[in-house]
Amino acid sequence: MTWISKTITVFGGLLLAHACYSAQEHAALQSFKAAATSTLTSSTPAASSLPVDIAIETIVATLITVLGLVLGTRPLRPIQWRVWAGKIEREGEEGFLGNNGEVEKDYMGNPFSYLESRPSFVDIRKQRKEFSQWVKNGGSQGKN
Amino acid sequence: MAPSLLYNPAKLPPSAALQLAQQAPIVLQQSLSGTETVDQWATYENLLLSCLRTGDDEAAAKCMDRLEERFGADNERVMALRGLLSEAQAENNGELEAVLKQYDAILEGNNTNIPITKRRIALLRSMGRVSDAASALVQFLDFSPTDAEAWSELSDLYFSQGLYSQAIYALEEVLLLSPNAWNIHARLGELQYMAATTSGNGGGSQQKYLAEALKRFARSIELCDDYLRGYYGLKLVTTRLLKEQAKQAKTDEGEFTLPEPRTIQRLDELATAKLSEIVRHSSLKDRGWRGYDEREVAAARELLSQNGIER
Amino acid sequence: MAQVPVQTIHRDPQLFYWILFPITIVMILTGVLRHYASVLMQSAPKKLDQKSIREQRSLLHGINVRSNFHTLSKKSFATRRDALVTAFESGAYLKDPERAGGGQPNPLSDPSSMEGMMGMMKNQMAMIIPNTLIMSWINAFFSGYVIMKLPFPLTIKFKSMLQAGVMTKDMDPRWMSSISWYFLCIFGLQSVFNFLLGSDNAASQMAQQMGGMGGAPAQMFGPGVDPDKQFKAEAENLAVIEHYSVLDNVEDRLLEGISV
Repeated sequence: MTWISKTITVFGGLLLAHACYSAQEHAALQSFKAAATSTLTSSTPAASSLPVDIAIETIVATLITVLGLVLGTRPLRPIQWRVWAGKIEREGEEGFLGNNGEVEKDYMGNPFSYLESRPSFVDIRKQRKEFSQWVKNGGSQGKN
Repeated sequence: MAPSLLYNPAKLPPSAALQLAQQAPIVLQQSLSGTETVDQWATYENLLLSCLRTGDDEAAAKCMDRLEERFGADNERVMALRGLLSEAQAENNGELEAVLKQYDAILEGNNTNIPITKRRIALLRSMGRVSDAASALVQFLDFSPTDAEAWSELSDLYFSQGLYSQAIYALEEVLLLSPNAWNIHARLGELQYMAATTSGNGGGSQQKYLAEALKRFARSIELCDDYLRGYYGLKLVTTRLLKEQAKQAKTDEGEFTLPEPRTIQRLDELATAKLSEIVRHSSLKDRGWRGYDEREVAAARELLSQNGIER
Repeated sequence: MAQVPVQTIHRDPQLFYWILFPITIVMILTGVLRHYASVLMQSAPKKLDQKSIREQRSLLHGINVRSNFHTLSKKSFATRRDALVTAFESGAYLKDPERAGGGQPNPLSDPSSMEGMMGMMKNQMAMIIPNTLIMSWINAFFSGYVIMKLPFPLTIKFKSMLQAGVMTKDMDPRWMSSISWYFLCIFGLQSVFNFLLGSDNAASQMAQQMGGMGGAPAQMFGPGVDPDKQFKAEAENLAVIEHYSVLDNVEDRLLEGISV
């Protein structure tokens, strides 16, 4: 998915650069012409506007670039509380993968889970006992 | 998926804790030079906790040294971690008493040291002096009534002693501080359900508890789509209510009343349908349904099969 | 399109090396210095004693009860409300209950608020002093110099900003004087500092993180605010709440909203 968006963006960028270059060339040509004609005849040349194909190219290039960028954005997050909460519960970490296939940095699971695990009140001795018990039992229970 | 060192490891199963603790040599090898990040220190802290749990005291001491070096030994949080370290290494009751004395001495000098206060309460509880722990916790909550974690601990403490109404009161305080915490709503529902179970048959108080449990579970589902724990509780409550077919007992002014039997019936159907959907999807390991705890799914499956037999 | 003749001013290229660069470098160096000075001068946030923490958090607790009352049943809300209103009105949570109703304390006599003001003063001074010095330095040596031409056209409105100190009416706004370059540096160097010193001054942030989690809360009562009055007001707010609960009819909402 990402390489598609990248190619499109790069293509759009190239097109935009080309349009800019064309416009610049056009302007240069115009001023050169004006300089050439003004020496011959004193009439002021009509300021010619940009050719329509350059304008179209610019617009199309912008649209293509935008398309590429939009395709490359991360998947949108739910904005309703219950949908978001449900996603955390139902999908766990898998629901919050970024484009690079890793869990996004700001994902923290249920933000209220600390109210039940209560890290400041942790009973470390009990945990140690449980752990050594678990090791004694072969250490395979509860492995998922 | 490998657990990350960036989150507090208190709730992880032993296998995950072991996995975390095994990362210790790699993390500790990295030198302290270079720019520091917020994550780095969180990593050290969580690594310390995991190592303590798995009994790797050496690595834990190294983490502790680094934290102390950076933040100074008089940082409150570092002090609490240091205390945790000595608690874990204490071999007998006498040494634990010494740690407790140390906490008392620290609090003597500065009675606003919140992390140490919490450690002291946890240690008291761990040593079996539950009533001391409870009174210390109540004292702490008197001067800091906005600490949701402490209220939750108090609730758990009362619950372990079978004091349901106090436990419910404390958990309601947690909800006042974080009104949208769906797991706390479900937890409150569970407490109410258990209170109803123990409060003897019949009578208004039991029905009051059940009614509120029903509503709490419903609220937790409302806050969180497909919340397994909420549906499980809802199913428990509705099954029980349908079995008893209790008449609407008189309730006090301001209490919740049971909904109509028809509504209960529909809620029961909803819960059954949702539970079986969740169980089906998550046993097939469908994409997007893999976040549930396996033990919870197993419990739901059991509940469903029980009901299937009864029906 | 009337062609405006392009103004050309022949500048000594040495201007660039002897004015533009020195001003920029001096600005950057003072910024870095100021950062370290403020880190050094920063006094640790003052520890509150237990009583004032209690005072603040109790008020916060009252506010929480008031704003999240809908999670409770009517009965448990009523008990909380009664307890809180009595306690608030009797001043049970005040730091020193005797002072209840004693009127406003003088903010200047309170040492803790004095300290807060001193901290603010220090910060202000660290900002003002170097800036004044640099500005007078520039004014003394380089006033009225036109030092560079911006590479893009500007409207006439920018003239007063960019050509401060140069009293030429017809000059194109693209020309910039030394004092204007100084102003541009003040406003524009923030990102450079972020780059040099780490974004948002990492050192202080980290210390906050470690100390945080219920560490020193922001001072809730500014100097000159009477906590007793705040408690009374909060008691009044609590007393007038008309209770409803999110749990009313939650099962109907659920049945309507969720289809299997």
